[in-house]
Amino acid sequence: MTTPLTALLGYVAIGGMWRVAMLIPLSLSVAVVYKTTRCRQLRDVPMAVLGLWLTIVLGMYAVGVAAWLVFMTCVEWTAGR
Amino acid sequence: MPAENDGLTRCPKPMAAPRLIDQPFARVCLAGFLSWLLPGAGHVAIGCRTRGLILMVTIAITFWTGVAIGGVQDTVQPRKRFAWFLAQTCAGVHGLAACSWSERARAAPNALENANPSYASVDTGVVYSGIAGLLSLLVILDAIGRADAPVEQAAASAGRSARERAP
Repeated sequence: MTTPLTALLGYVAIGGMWRVAMLIPLSLSVAVVYKTTRCRQLRDVPMAVLGLWLTIVLGMYAVGVAAWLVFMTCVEWTAGR
Repeated sequence: MPAENDGLTRCPKPMAAPRLIDQPFARVCLAGFLSWLLPGAGHVAIGCRTRGLILMVTIAITFWTGVAIGGVQDTVQPRKRFAWFLAQTCAGVHGLAACSWSERARAAPNALENANPSYASVDTGVVYSGIAGLLSLLVILDAIGRADAPVEQAAASAGRSARERAP
């Protein structure tokens, strides 16, 4: 089978920071769908999407950094004992 | 421009449609079923064309991006990831097509060549396609809500939209 669909049989290797970066397009699609269903006027959608997208991305990364800091603090603390 | 408009209210101008869609119960059922079958199609059927097309394209891109990242064989697996599979089937034709394709790909003689060793990729793909399915659930509920909204509310909203546009 040599159609372009063959590409979907394999996979795209994702690792390291790329895995973290994959949050960005996913949160964009969540923001687009949510705001498209909620906004009363379609012309309000782009700005609403931008606001929600930034909120999700910054919030999720902030939570991630906070969890990482707590983890590293615990590691240091247990190593020091 | 006709009132394509208006948030959670019924879109007041259905497309040229059969008489069946004018009946409230049939309208709700049709909007719900079409939204499940192809996310966004329910909105198009009840007259919210632009909104429906945005939803249709966004969910399709999200779902098939997930399949492309994780590989179709491993991303949609009813036996190994049943909960995620349920979420994926909410995307209607996308989920069912990917499931059918996945089963056929695993049964193929060269299936082992395509086996996916990257758990990071599979996890990312499963999350993408699963979230696309859950977003479809939101779209189904929204289409049902719009189809079920009272006509008076839609007319009032359309009138308000016209007044807002007036100079």
